[in-house]
Amino acid sequence: MPTPTVPEFSKSVKLKYVKLGYQYLVNHILTFLLIPVMLSVALQLVHTSPDDLLALWNSLHFNLVHVACSLFLIVYIATFYFLSRPRTIYLVDYACFKPPCSLRVPFAMCLEHARIILSSQPKSVQFQLRILERSGLGEETALPPAIHYLPPEPNMAAAREEAEMVIFSAMDSLLKKTGLKPKDIDILIVNCSLFSPTPSLSAMVVNKYKLRSNIKSFNLAGMGCSAGLISIDLARDLLQVHPNSNAVIVSTEIITPNCYMGNQRSMLLPNCLFRMGGAAILLSNRWSDKRRAKFRLVHVVRTHKGAEDKAYKCVQQEEDPEGHVGISLSINLMAIAAEALKSNITTIGPLVLPASEQLLFLFALLRRKIFKKKTKAYVPDFKQAFEHFCIHAGGRAVIDELQKNLQLSAEHVEASRMTLHRFGNTSSSSLWYEMSYIEAKGRMKRGDRIWQIAFGSGFKCNSAVWKCNRTIKAPIDDGPWVDCIDRYPVYIPDVVKL
Amino acid sequence: MDSFLLLLCFLPVSYLLFKLFIVIDQKRHQCCYILDYHCYKPGDDRKISTEFSGEIIRRNKNLGLNEYKFLLKAIVSSGIGEQTYAPEMIFHGRETCPTFEDGITEMDEFLNDSIEKVLDRSGVSPSEIDVLVVNVSMITSLPSLAARVINRYKMREDIKVYNLTGMGCSASLIAVNIVQNIFKCCKNAYALVVTSESLSPNWYTGNHRSMILANCLFRTGGCAVLMTNKVTLKNRAMFKLKCLVRTHHGAKDDSFSCCIQREDEQGRVGFHLDKTLPKSATRAFVDNLKVMSPKILPLTELLRFSIVSFSRKMSQSIDGSRPVINFKTGVNHFCLHTGGKAVIDGIGQSLNLSEYDLEPARMTLHRFGNTSASSLWYVLGYMEAKKRLKKGDKLFMISFGAGFKCNSCLWEVLRDLGDRNVWDDCIDNYPPENLANPFMEKYGWINDEDPSTFKVPE
Repeated sequence: MPTPTVPEFSKSVKLKYVKLGYQYLVNHILTFLLIPVMLSVALQLVHTSPDDLLALWNSLHFNLVHVACSLFLIVYIATFYFLSRPRTIYLVDYACFKPPCSLRVPFAMCLEHARIILSSQPKSVQFQLRILERSGLGEETALPPAIHYLPPEPNMAAAREEAEMVIFSAMDSLLKKTGLKPKDIDILIVNCSLFSPTPSLSAMVVNKYKLRSNIKSFNLAGMGCSAGLISIDLARDLLQVHPNSNAVIVSTEIITPNCYMGNQRSMLLPNCLFRMGGAAILLSNRWSDKRRAKFRLVHVVRTHKGAEDKAYKCVQQEEDPEGHVGISLSINLMAIAAEALKSNITTIGPLVLPASEQLLFLFALLRRKIFKKKTKAYVPDFKQAFEHFCIHAGGRAVIDELQKNLQLSAEHVEASRMTLHRFGNTSSSSLWYEMSYIEAKGRMKRGDRIWQIAFGSGFKCNSAVWKCNRTIKAPIDDGPWVDCIDRYPVYIPDVVKL
Repeated sequence: MDSFLLLLCFLPVSYLLFKLFIVIDQKRHQCCYILDYHCYKPGDDRKISTEFSGEIIRRNKNLGLNEYKFLLKAIVSSGIGEQTYAPEMIFHGRETCPTFEDGITEMDEFLNDSIEKVLDRSGVSPSEIDVLVVNVSMITSLPSLAARVINRYKMREDIKVYNLTGMGCSASLIAVNIVQNIFKCCKNAYALVVTSESLSPNWYTGNHRSMILANCLFRTGGCAVLMTNKVTLKNRAMFKLKCLVRTHHGAKDDSFSCCIQREDEQGRVGFHLDKTLPKSATRAFVDNLKVMSPKILPLTELLRFSIVSFSRKMSQSIDGSRPVINFKTGVNHFCLHTGGKAVIDGIGQSLNLSEYDLEPARMTLHRFGNTSASSLWYVLGYMEAKKRLKKGDKLFMISFGAGFKCNSCLWEVLRDLGDRNVWDDCIDNYPPENLANPFMEKYGWINDEDPSTFKVPE
């Protein structure tokens, strides 16, 4: 029935323009206030004659001493102003690990392996199959060589080999892209949650690339899928203290030691979702890198909900009754993630939202508090603050939940969904695969703002805000998406029939 | 016009002064103070004697007679006493098959004890902590141990937390380095550094010579250190950090692989200690001192040393001992990592230290054993309990770690110290007349063995 829809349509269009007008007015309020001032000054200028101007100029007695003093003062002030500002941190470039085709695990292989290894537990096989069907993963995700064996052989030597393959490949790629010499690296941070040999993975990188002996190296572990942003936070603090330095961050997750061999349902999920991946990032605070840097770091906001028992226990590594160690995910993971996100938004909102959204949020809050109206909490429109969103590809449910909560369109979450499809859940490095996707699609323009959100065990929700420093032209000639970007985006059905 | 010009000058000058004030204020808040620290002491039921160590080795089916003799010799001459502490699972005979829970329980015992005590004593509530750095080398758990601490003590949501692993026995100072850097950016912050080592999941069940040693040398221990950069708490603080230097020799292959966790031929995971370990340690130590000495020693000593070395080089004479730099001109107390008797002897020789200087490290090794990264704090506790630390004294901390790293730092003592700490029940018994192992006679036949058959490590 067309008649009832037409007035609704026109009403929504009118509302849209009202909203646009309101946003334009509030965000540019200073310009609007300045216009009358500028007009009055212009009128005054028009009325004065050139003689008056000359008289005004002559009346200002300048002598050399005064001029020199004022100049000196201006230079002094400018220097102090620039010195007291926090240093700008630039992301010069980053490189993601591209797994070789030989390590692919298509669905058929997953199924076959599951049937052979778990032949005595058909229920577990069925369960894993159902998860795979609905997971949103594609056929090209990769697992390390040790897991391809029947049965898998997850020993320490294999874990080290995987670490070397992933980390060295990403580092080589980064060094080539940026032209960085290993001896020039000042800070090195490596984060890998579940594999931590002694000496650490950071010592392994120092050994392979013969880094300097006064390097500041750190090895973070156990911090989950949000550890990449924790490393960025640490690098930012270190780069504030050390002038003219750069920092290399390696984010990865080593899958080999974490293959779960039991049959507890809550622990089988990570087997189906986690895949091989890694990224190496170069940050710098050098003035010379400003030109070629891709992004500038604006904010890092960290929220830790560990004080609440429910949040703390929702992702936990434990031993099942048969003695197999695995990671158990609780049923209310999504609810806890939403809570953590809400806390994070409360901190990051005032930092990034334009004035119009903040006012709306304030009005909605006042309405709820003062008038005690039971209205839904107003979720600010983050699309006003960011052009791109990189949501950690933790799983299909995470992306769906965040899309709903933040009211994002399908294009905003496309990078996350396609990364999950092509590479699976690569833990802390997934954010960098998503950034790479946006670049490969040619959508990254100068001045664009990007919001990276990651969740992790504990329960943590960390955000980073970047601003694009220069337009990145597609097609790019290297990167993990170079051979398949034209096939994307693909349609991912809700359930893939296996 | 003059008044207009005056105004023109006044505004920038006041702005300039304001900015200057901000810069000076920022500098004031960049110092790193230790408010308090607490070392962990398990109950008496966890004490392990040499005789019991012999029992453990004997009941291990994988070890033959040769390994038994080798280990016993190592334990007897290690400088470790009869009152060190071992993890609980050893007393239940489960060292060869530890469960996942064993590792976590071992950590829980320490985390529930030391952190509570240090926060209570200093009157700081857990929700006031702004930075938390936890370092335990040989265990990874999800969520991390740092998250475990946050959950247990209900810390704030916006806390800056870092969980370091795999960084070896020198990780304590790496954690202090992180806190030092964060303090330069954030004002009025409290930081908690928690350091320990996990022994339960890391027992080596094979019989490879280089790997069984690690089983016998490490002991249970840990420390929680409360630090701050609040200027108002300067009067209550114990120490102030003057400088910290880190040296990483990972670029050299033999340094990197001298102390490495790997599998033996049978696939059992253990900690391999190579024969080249002392050499790598010395090299890293020398490099670290090269950077550290100009920062902590007075100019007169540096000049003297450079003149003496130069003249020796010129005269090309090999007679006489090599010129040794006198660290005692800039440092009053030496806090050495208790890696083993050979480590302490080695450092004592290279720095020309007296028995009085090495006493805290030797006594800590005797009483608590090698507690890995937290050993420095036990040595500090000994000095404090013996009332050696006076206001204005300079304290030099040195530690070594896998990789191969050598980290050192200089602390300034801010007030006369002498609080009761983990040593209070036994400090009067130290130093004992005889440090020799009481089982030396019982196992004395070991000393008669052919030296070509055995090699005592480091």
